[in-house]
Amino acid sequence: MITIEGLCKDYGPRSAIRDLSFEVRQGEVLGFLGPNGAGKTTTMKIITAFMPPTSGRVSVMGFDTVKDALKARRCIGYLPENNPLYNDLKVDTFLAFAAGAKGVKSGRRKKQVTEVMQSCGLVEVGHRLIGRLSKGFRQRVGLAQALINDPPVLVLDEPTIGLDPKQIYEIRHLIKDVAKERTIVLSSHILPEVSQLCDRVAIINKGAIVAIDRPENLTNGLRDHTSIMVRVGRNVAEAVRIIGAIPGVINVSQAEDGSLIIDAGRDLDLRPAIVRQLVAADIDLYEITRRDLSLEEIFMRLITEEAASA
Amino acid sequence: MRSLYLKELRLYFTAPIFYAVAGIFLIIAGIFFSNAMLRESMFAAQIAQYQVNTPVGLTEVVIQPVFDGLSILILFLVPLFSMRLLAEEKAQGTIELLFTYPLTDTALVAAKYLAGLTVLVILIAFSGVYMGILAFLSPVDWGVVLSSYLGLILLTGSFLALGLFASSLTRNQIIAAVTSFGLILIFWIMGGLAEYLASGASSKIASELALLSHLTSFLKGMLVLKDAAYYLFFSLFFLLLTLRVLESRRWRG
Repeated sequence: MITIEGLCKDYGPRSAIRDLSFEVRQGEVLGFLGPNGAGKTTTMKIITAFMPPTSGRVSVMGFDTVKDALKARRCIGYLPENNPLYNDLKVDTFLAFAAGAKGVKSGRRKKQVTEVMQSCGLVEVGHRLIGRLSKGFRQRVGLAQALINDPPVLVLDEPTIGLDPKQIYEIRHLIKDVAKERTIVLSSHILPEVSQLCDRVAIINKGAIVAIDRPENLTNGLRDHTSIMVRVGRNVAEAVRIIGAIPGVINVSQAEDGSLIIDAGRDLDLRPAIVRQLVAADIDLYEITRRDLSLEEIFMRLITEEAASA
Repeated sequence: MRSLYLKELRLYFTAPIFYAVAGIFLIIAGIFFSNAMLRESMFAAQIAQYQVNTPVGLTEVVIQPVFDGLSILILFLVPLFSMRLLAEEKAQGTIELLFTYPLTDTALVAAKYLAGLTVLVILIAFSGVYMGILAFLSPVDWGVVLSSYLGLILLTGSFLALGLFASSLTRNQIIAAVTSFGLILIFWIMGGLAEYLASGASSKIASELALLSHLTSFLKGMLVLKDAAYYLFFSLFFLLLTLRVLESRRWRG
C-alpha cells in the first residue's frame, strides 16, 4: 500500500504537482486519470523513488521513498512511460538481468524468469532480440520486468498506450490477472480502461487531485438529474407531448439522431411510467435506456468546473 | 551489481563496435611492433658492422616504444568504448529502469566502470601475442613487460573514468566520445605544456598532472608508488564526479 502526503514537485519555477495527498489501499487498483501534463508521470516517478519530491512524503509498504529508497524500490514493479528496454538484449537475458538487478536470489532467478515469461505470454519470443519485437510484445516484456521480483506494488505508467485494440485487450487482461494479489497504481487517459480496471479513480488536473472515488460514485456524485433516452417510431411530436406531461419530467428534447432525451429530477427513475404512457397512446417504442454520465463527461465537467472556479 | 556488470559485458560483446575496434587495435599494435623489430635488426646490423660490443637493448628499442605506441592508441580508443556506458542508457530511457531498481548509484557507476575496464583489459591482453613472438626470438625481461602492462592498465583506467564521466553528461554518444576525447587530450598536452613552461612551480604542476608522464617509470620496469597513486586517484576523482552527476537528478528539475 502507498501513502502520499502533501506531495509537491517543482521544476524550476513551474510546479508540476502541488499538495497531493491520497492513499492506495492494500490490494486496490487505483486509476490515475488526467490530461497530458497534469502531473501523472511526475507523481509516479516520485512513488517509484526515481526522484525525490520538493516537499511532502511518500511511503510504499511502510518505506519512505527518500530515506529508505532501496527498500521501497524493492517492493515496486515499475513500467515507465514509453516502456524503455534494452533493444540489443534477448528477452530471456534481459529478464534474467532484471531479476538479478532487482535482488532475486541467484538460485531462484531461472525459475522466476520462466514463470514470468509464461504468465506474460513471452515463451515463444524468449530467444528473440527485444528490438525486433512488436509493440505488444515489448509491452509484455516491460510488464514482465516489473513483475520479475514478484513485488507487492505495481506502478504502470500508461500501460496500453500505442497498442492496437487486440493488444490493448490482452494487456488489460494481463493486468487484471496480476492485480489479484497486488496493489496497483496505473495512469491512463483512456477512460473506459480506467473504469474497467480500477477499484478507485483519482482525477488529477494541473498537479492537483480534483476527485478521487469509486468510478460509480463519481458518476452518481456529479449527477444533478437523471437522463433517459427514448427512441420511438412515428408520432414523435405526440410522444414529446405525452412524456412532457409525466410528473417529474423537467425537459424533453430531441437529439440529432431523432431520439428523445428526457431530463428528470435526481434519483427519479421514470422509465416504467414512460413505457406505460407510450404504450397506452399506441406509440411504437423501440428503445429506452437510462443514460449514465460517462467518465469522459465527468472528467470534462470536473476539469471545466475547476477552470471556472479558478 | 553483478547482474549489471554482466549485462554491460554482454552488451559490449554483442555490439559490432568491439570487434571493429579490437581489429584496428591489433593491426596498429602489429605495425608498432614490426617497426620496432625492424629498428632493432637495423641497430643489430650496425653494431655488427662497427664491431661495437654493447648488447642491443631489447627493452629500450622494442618493448618501450611498443608500449609508448599502445598508450597513444588506447588514448584514441577508450572514448569509443566509454561513450555508450551512460549516454546510451539515457537515450534509450533505460536509465529509468536502473534508477528504480534497488541499486545504489555507487553500484551503478562501479558496475559500468568495471565492465568497461574488463573489456579494455581483454583488448590490451591481445597485444600479449606480440610479446610472445618477441620471447620466442630472444630472451625478454618479463619484469619490464609486466610493469608496462600494469602501467598501461592504470592509464586505461584513468582514460575510462574520464570517458564515463563524459558519458554521464549527455544522452548523445557522439558528444560523449568527443568530450572524453577532448578531456583526455587536455591531460595529454599538459606534458607538452610542462616542457614549454620549462621550469618553476607551474611547470612542475603541469608535468605532474599530465597523464602520460606517470607512465614512464612503469615502462622502465619501475613500480613507483607516486605514479600508481596518481592513476588511482585520477580514476577515483572522475568516478566520484560521475556519481555526483547521477545524483544531480535528485535536485535538478
